[in-house]
Amino acid sequence: MFGRLLWSLLRSSRGRLVVAILALASGGAVISALLNLEADVQRKLAHEFRTLGPNLIVQPAGAGTMGSAGAPSLLDQRAIRSVEAAKIAGAAFAPYLYVVAQAEGHSIVVAGTWLDTAPLLAPWWKLIAGNWISSRDNQGQCLLGRDAARALRAGPGAQLQLQAGNRSLRVVVEGIFESGGDEDGQIFTALDAAQSLAGLPGKISVIAVSVPGATSQTEEAERKLVTALPQGEIRPVRQLNEAQNELASRLHLLIVSMVVLILALTVLCVLGTMAALAVERRHDVALMRALGGSVSCVVGLFLAEAAAMGAASGLIGYLAGIFLARWIGWRVFDAPISPRWQILPLTIALMTAVALAGALPLQLLGKVRPAEVLRGEA
Amino acid sequence: MTSSGNSHRGVLLDVRGLSRRFGEVLALDDVSFQVRGGEWIAIMGPSGSGKTTLINILGGLDSASRGNAFVDGMDVAALSEKELTRYRAEKVGLVFQQFHLVAYLTALENVMLAQYLHSIADEKDARRALERVGLGDRLDHRPSQLSGGEQQRVAVARALINQPNLILADEPTGNLDDANERIVLDLFRELHAQGNTILMVTHNPPVGALADRDIRLEHGRLAVDAELAAREHKL
Repeated sequence: MFGRLLWSLLRSSRGRLVVAILALASGGAVISALLNLEADVQRKLAHEFRTLGPNLIVQPAGAGTMGSAGAPSLLDQRAIRSVEAAKIAGAAFAPYLYVVAQAEGHSIVVAGTWLDTAPLLAPWWKLIAGNWISSRDNQGQCLLGRDAARALRAGPGAQLQLQAGNRSLRVVVEGIFESGGDEDGQIFTALDAAQSLAGLPGKISVIAVSVPGATSQTEEAERKLVTALPQGEIRPVRQLNEAQNELASRLHLLIVSMVVLILALTVLCVLGTMAALAVERRHDVALMRALGGSVSCVVGLFLAEAAAMGAASGLIGYLAGIFLARWIGWRVFDAPISPRWQILPLTIALMTAVALAGALPLQLLGKVRPAEVLRGEA
Repeated sequence: MTSSGNSHRGVLLDVRGLSRRFGEVLALDDVSFQVRGGEWIAIMGPSGSGKTTLINILGGLDSASRGNAFVDGMDVAALSEKELTRYRAEKVGLVFQQFHLVAYLTALENVMLAQYLHSIADEKDARRALERVGLGDRLDHRPSQLSGGEQQRVAVARALINQPNLILADEPTGNLDDANERIVLDLFRELHAQGNTILMVTHNPPVGALADRDIRLEHGRLAVDAELAAREHKL
């Protein structure tokens, strides 16, 4: 009979309930979208921040800055295997050896690296002429930064003679890129070629590591690298990590504040509808009380109605929130926000709580005096 | 639908010095009378004489300022709110002038509502109760689809479904036309014949004349408590 009564109650005030459900479902949709966003924002931020470059640098112990050719301390190339052995999930990395060489009468920095990987670690590099190099070991080719290309008056296909001390290297320009940074003035060659040019076989200056995920994952990766590379020094790119942390915590605060605000606004919306409903239901409550219904039984019935409404709205809101989250994802991150099923019970619970809080006027129905209401005096 | 506790002819209701004051107004003033099980009592009197106040106190809807009202040995005037709720569910069946059916429930559900508030709803019993008042073909009709007489018969079926000791009816025919009034009064006559104890407030002397006894209130005081003439002289 409880279910039958509940169903009849829900059908009896369809107009008002539709208004309340609309308010609750709208609130639920925004909350569900925000919670989905909150759950995904760390991943999205990490993704965005990884496009700003590596967030960990492995350098020789005691080196305050990046080394250059001739710098007193260099890493042994075996450090690359140690980074691999650290098994950092999803991490990408590339070794670098920096050499100062002479080319066409200009003094220029030559960076020996994995030519297929370096551009991937710096997604903001923009190819302005020629092609990227897809082979890691191609010793005869190089990439030229925009400023270096201008200084050397070299375009794709041009041959360059690099000289470091009494060692020389001949390379062909495969592509010219623009980075907006120091790399614009550098020449990028294969690691082996740079090592030969510098006369430092098996040596590297640094390893740049890009760790995906939240800052906690970066910290975990840092711990693993410290253990794996006792001879090296692990330097987090603090500005990046701190900016990511800062932005994540600001977004978290913003989302939590908005969820609380929306919950409060939804309660207010529902409160108005429920107050009108309470006036409508006074007679029924008085009658049920007169027929021997206890306050808890009668008011409980009406609160169950509110709870059912809240739960249904939570479900509708969650589904609508998925679309909203996807739209926000495309607009803000250029990628969809993945819906999380864990948000469903949370949205339903929140909207049920909101409906019950908004149903406060219905609780006042417990104070109805049946004799007065049934006589039409109250 | 015979009431469980009414088969005896002992005192079912014992009202002693019952008073009810609303501010300065004394709505009931030291009213005392007794009702035996199975009796039909008409409570009469002019407007404002305290009839409805008396019915409300006996129905557990209002409390007395002074005095006692024993129903089946239980002093209604001394019951707590929680006890009054159980009392209303178990001991009395209320029939109102305005019918007071729940508009969005069917006739069957209106009767089942009283069962649900008492203990457990039993659709078969509710269906039988409506068949007894001649509404077997109106089970799924909502109040708006029923005539006034039919609505009042649903209210009577609802009042009787939990087998109360006492049926309290406040002007049950006050809103009915002559034809429906006759149908409803026939129903009460039948209930009385089955041994139900009925207290009925009425303004209408011919309706009052159907009762075994006539209790008249004036200005809140008991003016007349008279055994009525033999049944053959009634309507």
